[in-house]
Amino acid sequence: MSQGYASIRRAWPLIVVVGVLLWAVLYPHLFVLGESIWIAGEPSLDGYRQFFASRAELEALWGSLWISAGSVLLSALIGVPLAFLFTRFEFPGRALFGALAALPVLLPPLVGVISFLFLYGESGIVTRTIQMALGLESPPWRLVGGGAILLVHAYSMYVYFYLLTAAGLSRLDASAAEAAESLGASRLRIFFRVTLPMLAPALGAASVLVFMTSMASFSAPYIFGGGFRVLTTQIFTSKVNGELTLAMVETVVLASASLLFLGVLRRFERGREFAAVGKGVSAPRRQVTSAWARRVIPTIGVGAVGTLLLPHLTLILVSFVTEGTWTTQLLPSEFTLANYRELFTSAQLWTPIANSLQMASLATAANLVFCFLAAYLIVRRRSPGRGALVFLTMLPWALPGTVIAMALATTFSVNQPWFGRVVLVGTFWILPLAYFVRNIPLVAQAAMASFRQYDFALEEAAHGLGAGWFTTMRRVAAPLVLPGLAAGGLLAFVTALGEFVSSILLYTYRSRPISVEILSQLRAFDFGAAAALGVVLAVLMTLVFALGGRWVRGATLGQRG
Amino acid sequence: MRRCHPAFAVLLSLAGCVADSGEVLVVYTPHGRDLLEDFGERFQEANPGVTVQWLDMGSQEVLDRLRSERANPQADIWWGAPAEIFVQGADDDLLEPFEPDWADGLPADRRDPENRWFGTYLTPEVIAFNSAVVSPQEAPQEWDDVLDPRWRDQVLIREPMASGTMRAIFSSIIYRESEGSGDPEAGYEWLLRLDAQTKEYVLNPTLLYQKLARQEGLVTLWAMPDIETLIATTDYPIDYVIPSQGTPVVIDGIALVRGSRNPEMARAFIEYVGSEEGLILAAEDHFRIPARTDLDPESLPDWLREALPRIREMPVDNDLIRERTPEWMRYWDSNIRRRGEASGYE
Repeated sequence: MSQGYASIRRAWPLIVVVGVLLWAVLYPHLFVLGESIWIAGEPSLDGYRQFFASRAELEALWGSLWISAGSVLLSALIGVPLAFLFTRFEFPGRALFGALAALPVLLPPLVGVISFLFLYGESGIVTRTIQMALGLESPPWRLVGGGAILLVHAYSMYVYFYLLTAAGLSRLDASAAEAAESLGASRLRIFFRVTLPMLAPALGAASVLVFMTSMASFSAPYIFGGGFRVLTTQIFTSKVNGELTLAMVETVVLASASLLFLGVLRRFERGREFAAVGKGVSAPRRQVTSAWARRVIPTIGVGAVGTLLLPHLTLILVSFVTEGTWTTQLLPSEFTLANYRELFTSAQLWTPIANSLQMASLATAANLVFCFLAAYLIVRRRSPGRGALVFLTMLPWALPGTVIAMALATTFSVNQPWFGRVVLVGTFWILPLAYFVRNIPLVAQAAMASFRQYDFALEEAAHGLGAGWFTTMRRVAAPLVLPGLAAGGLLAFVTALGEFVSSILLYTYRSRPISVEILSQLRAFDFGAAAALGVVLAVLMTLVFALGGRWVRGATLGQRG
Repeated sequence: MRRCHPAFAVLLSLAGCVADSGEVLVVYTPHGRDLLEDFGERFQEANPGVTVQWLDMGSQEVLDRLRSERANPQADIWWGAPAEIFVQGADDDLLEPFEPDWADGLPADRRDPENRWFGTYLTPEVIAFNSAVVSPQEAPQEWDDVLDPRWRDQVLIREPMASGTMRAIFSSIIYRESEGSGDPEAGYEWLLRLDAQTKEYVLNPTLLYQKLARQEGLVTLWAMPDIETLIATTDYPIDYVIPSQGTPVVIDGIALVRGSRNPEMARAFIEYVGSEEGLILAAEDHFRIPARTDLDPESLPDWLREALPRIREMPVDNDLIRERTPEWMRYWDSNIRRRGEASGYE
């Protein structure tokens, strides 16, 4: 085998990864950048001048930034303790409630926001209960403004911290903590000096995910903001007002702010990477022994999970309410099965469900293969291009779903094969492509976190034993990063299954997904039918999650045995 | 990773069985399911083998989609949007000229001079209120009455930027306050006072009805056919007043999309929507007011004959309004939204 041939063979993953990133991620977004500085056929910075001269625009930029920082903080405060509680302690009901704590990820975004209204809105169940219990004249709070957005974000995004911390804890090598303990370190000291630093990759990944998701979040500020300005709502406003240049400028500012945060975090993370050396096993769960802790720990855990599940319960409740009967009562008075009957008897309904399953499967399969390779290259190689690769894999997260959809729609609406442009708008393929692009950061983050805890010395050992690159990947790297990668893949799959923001811009009648169908039920003023469809979607997601999780565990054990 | 879990195999095979067949007519429309199913079924009966498929979305979204699908149009018909938005679509070259037989029944300002869109229905804007708490006598009777201290923090407004209806109301009021000059200052003042009265800007019409019925607010400004439909189809305690001194009337339209894959069938559908039969069906069952003026008054349903004399169109300069609305709305969003109270309108 000649030297040149071998190096080409080793370079192909890099070529594939870079090629896909340039074509599907960078290229469409250059169109967005172009439109922000190209006015009526001439380059011009008027859009930027208009942006930075406007009080409202600056208010929106500031709003986006502090809401996102606050969301990271609040989500961490909920998600990290929950993860510790459910992975480190053993108590009755642990497994069940530990699984339930991940459920908010399975609440379809649009429907989730609606059930929030029914719950905490001014005439919501919780609000009215408190109002009645305290005998108040007016509702105790109004679900509007920055506080409301933060609440909704924390509620729906703590899952990122919960899942990634739990995954990190289960990969954590207990021998380090044991060593520290035998050297006389206190529990607190072990936590801050051993456990937390080793969790840094997981916490960093979760912070990035939450920050980016909040920056790009649209429905929460739109529905609960009540005029609170953030960049995503400004983009929407400019767009519906026909000011496309300003919309593009706002998009570029939003993307730059997100990328800046990513850059700062990466810098902070550098030199804090810990690989699990040796063949340690993860820490055993501690039996709760003291009588005090035996009561308190499960109560906190179950109580927290119960509160976090209220939106799901509300969704189920609404799906059984007779349409148009629930007005000023605390709880609905008339129930019916009609919403479900209608759903299951209409043949039309199965089309969106089948569509969503098909498109989400395709996109996720592509995500898994692609992100495995990308994460490997990023973590393994210390080449100069590494920063650019990280940048490109994170780019989709820095851009709101609407923008990705618009960028894809602009780029793939004409046939210019020589420029890498083909017509995909109006075809089936545009949505799987959008899901794929949108989920690259999610799966790549999960894969990278796994690879950071993966000891590359194992690879050298495999090479030493005569294994080729492909065999090493398949037999050594893949099984070891599988839990993390699969967790990312499952998240990506359920996200794609319920994806709404880009779907609404790109769907065609034949490929309409579930979320669009839910929206049209809502538009038709049919909360019951929308909720019923939402329940079906949530059940579907749960099923995928449960089966997928079991399959991953089985596969992991199988590889070890 | 060696074998596929059976459950995934099932999911994938389920996902595989997606198929559509036959001749398909795709309609982009904000008109809502009831109206569309009704028309779709009737049209399919009259034209066997055709399937009418409609995508339900806001009128601004229709325009956005048509723009992005320009190279590969997916729709045959655009049904429903204020004339202002059709004008933009026509200017962008997204519509195909075609003159239906019924076009002669339309006054000149309800159709495009180059035959790219035609008016179908008239939508008067009204003041709606929660009738469980407010009696029709107590309710605001004119636009200016909404600014009365009695309704402080009781007014709900549909998010105006995205709503054709609200944009029509705001711009008509700015025009009215300017006394025909188009100078928006007096109108901005009026809207600032409205902002001080406003409790909340509500995301979409569905939530608006919900909040009104749940007494989160007592008064709103909205389109008459929607409120009529609500009264007819739900138990929600909602009623409305038509301001007697004049109200904005939006012209709703229909158009053939340029690049339609099925232009013959699309033309037939447009002919049907604007025919006497189609207009009366929409009036009887869906509270739509025909834009055509050549229909026999005797054939109109009772509710419409009763309502028509009460609707006095607010006089506006349509060209001026179409041109200036984006600028006015941008000003409203940046300088009026949520600034009413701070401006001392208590």
